[in-house]
Amino acid sequence: MDPVQFMSHHTAVEYKIPEPSLLTIHFGEELAKGRIIGHKCPQCGKVYMPPRGYCPLCVVETTEANEVEVSNAGTITTFSVITPLQYQGQEETEDYVQATLLLDGADTTIMVMRMDGIAIADVRMGMRVRAVFPTAGGGAASNSQLIARGMGLGDAVDHWEPTGEPDLTREQIAEHIL
Amino acid sequence: MRDVAIVSFAQAPLEQSPGQTETLMLLPTITEALAAVGMTRRDVGFTCSGSADYLTGGTFTFVQMLEAAGAWPPISESHVEMDGAWALYEAWVRLQHGDVDVALVFASGRASLGASLRETLTFQLDPYYLAPIGADYVSLAALQGQAVLARDARSEKDLADIVARRYQDAVGNPNAAVSGSTTADELLAAEYVVAPLRAHDVGPAVDGAAAVVLVAGDRAREVCDRPAWITGLDHRVDPHYPGVRDLASSPSTKIAGERAGVSNGGVEVAELAAVCTPEELVLAEALGLGDDVAINPSGGALVANPVMATGLVRIGEAFRQVHDHGKQRVLGHASSGPCLQQNLVCVLEGPG
Repeated sequence: MDPVQFMSHHTAVEYKIPEPSLLTIHFGEELAKGRIIGHKCPQCGKVYMPPRGYCPLCVVETTEANEVEVSNAGTITTFSVITPLQYQGQEETEDYVQATLLLDGADTTIMVMRMDGIAIADVRMGMRVRAVFPTAGGGAASNSQLIARGMGLGDAVDHWEPTGEPDLTREQIAEHIL
Repeated sequence: MRDVAIVSFAQAPLEQSPGQTETLMLLPTITEALAAVGMTRRDVGFTCSGSADYLTGGTFTFVQMLEAAGAWPPISESHVEMDGAWALYEAWVRLQHGDVDVALVFASGRASLGASLRETLTFQLDPYYLAPIGADYVSLAALQGQAVLARDARSEKDLADIVARRYQDAVGNPNAAVSGSTTADELLAAEYVVAPLRAHDVGPAVDGAAAVVLVAGDRAREVCDRPAWITGLDHRVDPHYPGVRDLASSPSTKIAGERAGVSNGGVEVAELAAVCTPEELVLAEALGLGDDVAINPSGGALVANPVMATGLVRIGEAFRQVHDHGKQRVLGHASSGPCLQQNLVCVLEGPG
C-alpha cells in the first residue's frame, strides 16, 4: 500500500454584501434622524422593530401604512459581559456589556446593544435604559448597509445608559428573554 | 399507493424590488398557490421546502424562509438542501402515510448574491475533488457537450437550433429572463464561454421562488377542477465523480423514467431541467422522447434558471399543461449536480 498523500488547497467562496431592501433603507434614514420605527401587524397588533415587511405569526405583509415609531428607551431582557481577546485590529481593551433590549412600544428585542455609563456589576435583567445618540452620527446610507448585514441599529446609537427608573420584573419581560 | 395530485402552482414574479428578501419573495407566492384552491396555511398538514444556504452564504437561511409558510402554532415540516423537486418527492412520500391530505412544497434561491454561481455550486457539491481543478458545472457541461456532439455526429448548429427554439417558446412566459426570435446563425456569432458552449447555452441564473400544493384522494377533486395526478415519481443518481461516467448518456434519468412509467403510454409534453443546452439532448434520449413530444414549451431552464427552484418550476409548468391546457399525460424533470448527476422524473396525468 502506498502511504496516504496529502495536499494543501486554499479556497475562498465570494459573496456580494446583500443590497439593503427599500424597507431597510427607509429604516436607516429614519434612524439617522433619531427615529426608531417598526411595523405594527394589522391582525395581531405586535410591533416588529426593525420592520420585516411581514408578521411571521399571522403571515401577512406589512407596509409603510403599518409604520409606528417606537421609543428610544427600553428594558434589558438579557446581557453578556464581553472580555475582549487581544488580536490584531481589536480596539477594545476592557470588559464591557452587550445587552438585548426590548424598546418601549416594540414586541421584538434587539441584540448586541452596547451599555455604558454603569458599572458592569450593576447591569441586570429588567433594568431600564435609553439611547445615547452620537454627536456626529453615522449617515443613513451607512446605517442601511450595516443593518442589511444584520448589525442591529447600524452606528445610529452610540451606546445605552440607565434611566434610573424602577426595574421591570422578570414576569414582565419573560416573553422577551431571547 | 395513495392517489396524490398537484392542484396548484405559483411562481414569484421575475422582477422584484431591490434587495427583496427571500422570505418576502415566498410569502405572497405561497399565499397565491393556496388561495387558488380556496385554502389557507391552516389547511396544510405537511410542509417541505428546498433551498441551499451556499447560494447566499448565510447559515440556516431556510429557517427564515419558513416564516413565509407560517410556523406558528408549530407545524409539521421538513427541508431538503436541494432543488424543491426533491421537497415535492418527500411531501409525496409523507402523503402516502395516510394521516394528512394536504402538503405545501416550496423552493427558493437568490443566486445573485454569490460572486460566481460556477464557483458556489462547485464548493457546495464537491470542494474536495472537483473544486481544486476548477471543474465547475459549466466546464463539465462543455465536456458533456463535446461528448454528445462526437457521439451523435451533431454540430454546434444543432445546439444553437435548440436555443433558438426555446427563446421562441419563452415568448409570453413572464418568468423567462430571455426570449424572442433569433436564429442559429445569430447565436453562433457569439464567443465561447467554454467550447462548445456559448453564453446562451447556459441558462441565466435568476433569483426565484415557487410553491406547489399537493392533495391526496377525493379532496383533490373537490378543490381543483382538473388536478394533475402523480402517476409516477422516481429519482436516481449517477456515480459522483464525473470521470467515471459516459457523459453523453444519463443512466440515472433512464432508470428514473422507467420507474416513473414514462414509456407506459408516452407523454405529450416534457418539461426538462436542462440548464445547459447539451443536457436537453441527453435527457430526451434517456427518456425516449420522440419528435411528437413537446419539449419545454415554457422555454425551460435555458431561458431562466431560478437555482433551487428550477426543477420544481418544471413540475409546476407540467401541471399547467394538464390543468390549463388540457393535456392528458406529461412529465416534469429535475436535476442536481454537474452534467445531470442526479435526476428526478415526475409523470402527471389529467382526470381523463
